[in-house]
Amino acid sequence: MPKYSEDFTPQEMIVVAGSRTLIDNKVVFAGTGLPMVAITLAQLTHGPGIVPVFEAGAVGPELSRGLPLSVGGSRTTYKANYLLGLNSAFELTQRGFCDFGFIGGAEIDPYGNLNSTMLGSYPDGYNKPKVRLPGSGGASDMACSCERTIIIMVHEPRRFSEKIDYITSPGYLDGSPNARWRAGMVGQGPYRVITTKAIMGFDDETKRMKLIATLPGETVESVQEATGFELIIPDDVYPFEPPTVEEIRLIREVIDPLGYFVKKKIKG
Amino acid sequence: MYWTGLSPDEARQFLANKDKSKRDKRISLKEAVQKYVKDGDNLGIAGFVDARQPIAIVHEIIRQGRKDLTLSYQSAGIAAEYLCGAMCLDDNKNSIKRMELAYLAHEAFGISPLLRYLTENSLIEMEDWSNYNMSARFKAGAMGLPFIPCRSPMGSDMLQTNRAIIQDCPFTNRPIMLLPASHPNVALVHVQEADIYGNCRIQGPLFTCPEISMASAHTIVTCDRLIEHDDMVRFPNRVSIPYFSVDAVIEVPYGAYPGNSNGLYYYDEKHIPEFRDACEKFRKGERAPLQEYFDNYIFGVENTTEFINKIPLNQIQHVEKIEPGIRLESAHTVLGS
Repeated sequence: MPKYSEDFTPQEMIVVAGSRTLIDNKVVFAGTGLPMVAITLAQLTHGPGIVPVFEAGAVGPELSRGLPLSVGGSRTTYKANYLLGLNSAFELTQRGFCDFGFIGGAEIDPYGNLNSTMLGSYPDGYNKPKVRLPGSGGASDMACSCERTIIIMVHEPRRFSEKIDYITSPGYLDGSPNARWRAGMVGQGPYRVITTKAIMGFDDETKRMKLIATLPGETVESVQEATGFELIIPDDVYPFEPPTVEEIRLIREVIDPLGYFVKKKIKG
Repeated sequence: MYWTGLSPDEARQFLANKDKSKRDKRISLKEAVQKYVKDGDNLGIAGFVDARQPIAIVHEIIRQGRKDLTLSYQSAGIAAEYLCGAMCLDDNKNSIKRMELAYLAHEAFGISPLLRYLTENSLIEMEDWSNYNMSARFKAGAMGLPFIPCRSPMGSDMLQTNRAIIQDCPFTNRPIMLLPASHPNVALVHVQEADIYGNCRIQGPLFTCPEISMASAHTIVTCDRLIEHDDMVRFPNRVSIPYFSVDAVIEVPYGAYPGNSNGLYYYDEKHIPEFRDACEKFRKGERAPLQEYFDNYIFGVENTTEFINKIPLNQIQHVEKIEPGIRLESAHTVLGS
């Protein structure tokens, strides 16, 4: 029986949840930030065979030189098995070499569509956004063309809305049958949404977000309350296993000792 | 349909008339920018976020001042932020008209404050794409094709305001996305090693540097080291950009600082936040720190050597020390001046 940690932050919990969702020996196309931390943790625990792919070009590197500050930084390239550039990396996703895309976002809707472009009215207000976000980067490419997508984000009501201002990275679009296929996408769409409060998936029929597990300290009610739309709540929702002492130690001492991505305090 | 930079036919014609001789292309950075970068140009910004961005070239452009620029890139960080900052401080001297981009921010270092400032005040025109889209647009340009098919991001709202077209594939009858080629007027590229003819050897990720250079009408290359031509061609398939795609070569050690140049120096985790903080203060209404930053590090110096002289030596030593060197040592002779 593992020893559970009694002292962890929501940001550390989300990294643990992300890590445990990853499957050994799968190719994971990694977005910047929390996905990189979660992949590193998975490699150090249950998933030594996970193959990380970084959009700037590195395929299958060893992440043992410290946490990358960027998906294009030198630390993504150490002992990489293949290293060209952005075109070659994204061509891998189109061809079907990438099992999972692992991305974050600022806003999400019930169908797993993500916004990382702008807040405000679109398209009318495109040239005067209320808040301009960094833009797609490679997230929209991963969301379309990796076989499945894992989404990781902070759980706040304003980030989970029935309707988002802008779809940067497509999920199941409007949820209608075969919406992704009809739009021309090759990947199957969102698999999990991992947040500071819960693990969620998507209903097979309606493609709406459903609760799978609540993280420590959360209940079905508290998760629903923090979600700006109605979640599907199946009967078999279960409490997620807390982080172990070892997982927290790895995050703090080995993976992100300077707290770049796993900040000590976050809102919400 | 409209083209920014050159249309595919113009780009073809331009290259047909270009001198492709193998000649010594070393000139000063000042002259290179005077000669090749014009007001109104579409500039292809190479590198990726804060890695191997053409910082030395961008600082020189800002010192000279250029207006109505279009910036084309997949993901940029400090290079684009510097140009935004120059515009924020004095748009009579430097200005950006338009950006064709996938991402402008600094990943672990935070968002781009001046992208927020300029867009939220409607001061620049935007055309959003994905990283793959911008990379594939440069690739189409480099391939001499007017467009390239692509599978993402179909279903995204980006397609409502960019020039992508969705059509049924004539062979599969399934929807496919078509992207217009990008042919910038000038590619701005920093590499680790080049020879005097312009052959470039990139270490680490290539990003989209070869495609941007070969799609553009002109290419300015800065390199951390000039190396002997014989060393360059000892490994022909390690040449990332061929000499006839390059117009000017300038040896500028630390030409991507404070960003990462793979194998030579890591991100400066002090200087990038110092600059970004000044940008954030500007966004929140405090102008002085950004003005001071530019006066101190860009306008107050002549070149990158003088800029680097202002950084504490131990800070430079640190970014070199923590960067794992993975150069092909056998192929590396530093060219004497």
